[in-house]
Amino acid sequence: MNKRLVIRLLGAIMLIEALAMLPSMLISIVTHDGCVQAFLNTIAILCLCGMPMWLLARPKESNLRAREGFVTVALAWVILSAFGALPFVFSGMIPNYVDALFESVSGFTTTGATVFANFEGAPKGIMFWRSFTHWIGGMGVLVLTLALLPSMTGRASHLARAESPGPSFSKIVPKMGDSAKILYIIYAVLTIVEFGVLMLCGMGPYDAAIHAMGTAGTGGFSNYGASVGAFDSALIDGVITFFMVLFGINFALFYRVLTGGWRDALKSEELHWYLGIFTVCTLGVTLLIMPQYGSFVQSLRYGSFQIASIISTTGYATADYNLWHPAAQMLVLFVMFTGACAGSTAGGMKVVRVALLSKLAGREVRHTFQPRKVQVVRFEGKGTDENILAQTAVFFFAYIALILIGCFLVSLEGKYGFAANFTAALTCVNNVGPGLAEIGPMYNFAGYGPFGKLILSLLMLCGRLELFPILVLFHPAIWRKG
Amino acid sequence: MHILVVGAGKVGHMIAEHLAREEHDVTVIDRSDEVVHRIDDTLDVMCIRGNGANASTLLEAGADKADIIIATTASDETNMLCCLIAKRLGAKFAIARIRDPEFNESLALLQREMGIDLAVNPERATALEISRLLRFPFASNIEAFAKGRVEMVEFRALEKDAVVGIPLREIHHKLRGIPHVLYAAVERSGSAIIPNGDFVIEPGDRVHVAADMVTITTYFRYLGKNSLRVKDVMMLGGGRISYYLARMIVPMGIHVSMTEINEKKALDLSEALPEVNVIYGDGTDQELLDQEGLAQMDAFIALCDRDEENLMTGLYAVRQGVPKVVVKNNRGGYDDIINAMGLDSIVSPKAITCAYILRYVRQRENATGTRVERLYKLMDGKAEALEFIARPSDPYVGIPLKDLTIRPGTLVAVIVRRGKVIVPFGNDHIEAGDSVVILVRESGVSDLNEVIRK
Repeated sequence: MNKRLVIRLLGAIMLIEALAMLPSMLISIVTHDGCVQAFLNTIAILCLCGMPMWLLARPKESNLRAREGFVTVALAWVILSAFGALPFVFSGMIPNYVDALFESVSGFTTTGATVFANFEGAPKGIMFWRSFTHWIGGMGVLVLTLALLPSMTGRASHLARAESPGPSFSKIVPKMGDSAKILYIIYAVLTIVEFGVLMLCGMGPYDAAIHAMGTAGTGGFSNYGASVGAFDSALIDGVITFFMVLFGINFALFYRVLTGGWRDALKSEELHWYLGIFTVCTLGVTLLIMPQYGSFVQSLRYGSFQIASIISTTGYATADYNLWHPAAQMLVLFVMFTGACAGSTAGGMKVVRVALLSKLAGREVRHTFQPRKVQVVRFEGKGTDENILAQTAVFFFAYIALILIGCFLVSLEGKYGFAANFTAALTCVNNVGPGLAEIGPMYNFAGYGPFGKLILSLLMLCGRLELFPILVLFHPAIWRKG
Repeated sequence: MHILVVGAGKVGHMIAEHLAREEHDVTVIDRSDEVVHRIDDTLDVMCIRGNGANASTLLEAGADKADIIIATTASDETNMLCCLIAKRLGAKFAIARIRDPEFNESLALLQREMGIDLAVNPERATALEISRLLRFPFASNIEAFAKGRVEMVEFRALEKDAVVGIPLREIHHKLRGIPHVLYAAVERSGSAIIPNGDFVIEPGDRVHVAADMVTITTYFRYLGKNSLRVKDVMMLGGGRISYYLARMIVPMGIHVSMTEINEKKALDLSEALPEVNVIYGDGTDQELLDQEGLAQMDAFIALCDRDEENLMTGLYAVRQGVPKVVVKNNRGGYDDIINAMGLDSIVSPKAITCAYILRYVRQRENATGTRVERLYKLMDGKAEALEFIARPSDPYVGIPLKDLTIRPGTLVAVIVRRGKVIVPFGNDHIEAGDSVVILVRESGVSDLNEVIRK
């Protein structure tokens, strides 16, 4: 293990986090919310820890092997969350550090699960920071590092692979640094467009910024207890629904559209699956909740918003689906599993894995009665590597196992019933936000104890980094030499 | 530049690695999943699995916008087809590896019709390199700069050599009449040193000196190294390199013996090369070598397919007192170890092909902006020699070198002005239009202004 390189990279990450706090501090200064000191203290601590790590760790070689890549990514996320929690504590908004950590992890992993019950009069700078963590966490901090400091590491592909969602990472242009830059530019432009459209729909600039960042990162923090429902505007619901679906699409497709290959982009098989699942589930939910809301249009408004919010793992709410038809609740749970496309800012298992697993299952069924048939699993028009298929199957097992173990551990607290505990584990691993019953869209996670919150934080990190980078940290061989 | 490399075998991988390190946008196409994965893991390039002669794969890789396509698959035909299709799609410059001697005869026609701008024949290029070594047998390595006007020659310093043990700045006082050459670089126990005036050459150092051809020759005559003229050569293995090499050196009046283990091949060679003494037998057999008079040879060149056998037989030839031994070894990274065993001249067709292609890429690059005229990797890539042309607008023009700030670890090696070679001293200056060769230890220098400042 090239420990110095890891330390140096982590130092860089801390400095970038300090930099990322500046916009929030600016909001604090402008709005006089009294939290400037909280930010200043955090930035000072970050610089004091990060600067020596960055300057003094002189790696003998800049070669980043798979093990360093995974360890760096995992530790970077732990560090980010740990320090990102400090402004909440220093400002006195969440005095308990474990609560603040939960909030911070939830922000960076774009989960959007919160311990806040009361938002009235919350300091604007702190609320902005909370949403800003979504924005950074959505595309990834190491991707940002690669965009800013492309020359820092020799082989960066391990970093991007560990952080980016999806079974295999594919660059959009030959150079990793350039790819990272292009992704961030697309991301920023789309976020600004959403911000503008929300302003046009009548939101104030502050609300628009918070919700644009929450949508872009597919996070789900709102500055209102009733989430997007607080605006009670069909127009705003529609706009946010559209953007939530949009941010669940693979960003490589946006690049293809930009370079003139929109026909090509529309042919993407994953996109078809994603939009297909979205459409079918929306229609299902709409029909199931029609008796409750009366008109089809009204049901479609709430149904499509909720499915878009959950499939893109954002977690905004305009309605309390705890009160919906049980079958509609099941559809919500189902899209919680699938998540959106690989290469987007969304969490979940990813549509591509669902598609591959379905095809794999179909192949196995056929294999039982026609064992000699050679079957290649085709995806996006190409045969899929058997290694990737095997990895996908293993991923699915690890994913289910993690949810079950997490659910068990959370249940040890004995606070809530099965529905709440199971969906808490599920929603955290998938980085969605709300669950069912006591942690439904109109409630929060404040009821869990410190142990439960730590477990859920770990689940969120595991989910965001797609399990293996975090699990790698617990494997003893990673820390050995050689 | 956007560069496409089709076929990531040994050469393709090495080229992609160098180009990616030089900040080009590289896309690699290979048919094998395994190769694609390995490249994806180790290099910052885009990888595409597919057949490089397939138009849709080439389009996916962006062949229509490519500045250069380099085809280095195992098959000549595929390489030519790749270039043909890529050029039709809009690629600007095509380089193909073509190694079959059959194609070599009609190469000009093929190149024109297929749109191949540069055809590389690794075996021929290697043979050319070896023939140069035979012309200067005292050198273990030779590089030509500035259109061949400047030669940089590497030799191993021995205890008895006059230049050993004297600081470089005093050599001219102590040794009257020694020709004025530049001590460009020294390799000592595996690391590269760019020497200054206080540097003292020790026995065993691998010294690189640069000057024009005549001066170099008189310099080595002064050192008493030029006494050997190669007249009799024995080659191990009758492969393509041996064939090309024999064709090159027989007209120079060199007598060639060649061992070949395959009877049919030996017969064919004997027919194609009537002046060559073709011996049918196992050239790694010491009995056979002794019988054919290995000990009386001026040079022994081991060129069979297996690197290990080349090394072993090469070492045997050194033991038998053959003054010049050249071995082919394609495996990079072992040069230091092999040198330590007493074999000085190692040729690697892979490295030669790679260097050849990279030189052309850099020339193309020069046409589109960056200023390196030519770049040579020295000492296994530990140092680089770069050739620039000074522009009138450059700030260092006309100022004596001693008044300029030159980055440490950099040496202004030679200045070529209107065809005349100058080995510069502190009072010399650079004029606009001069070809300037500098030596640096790190890579990535792309402009003379980066290393020389007012």
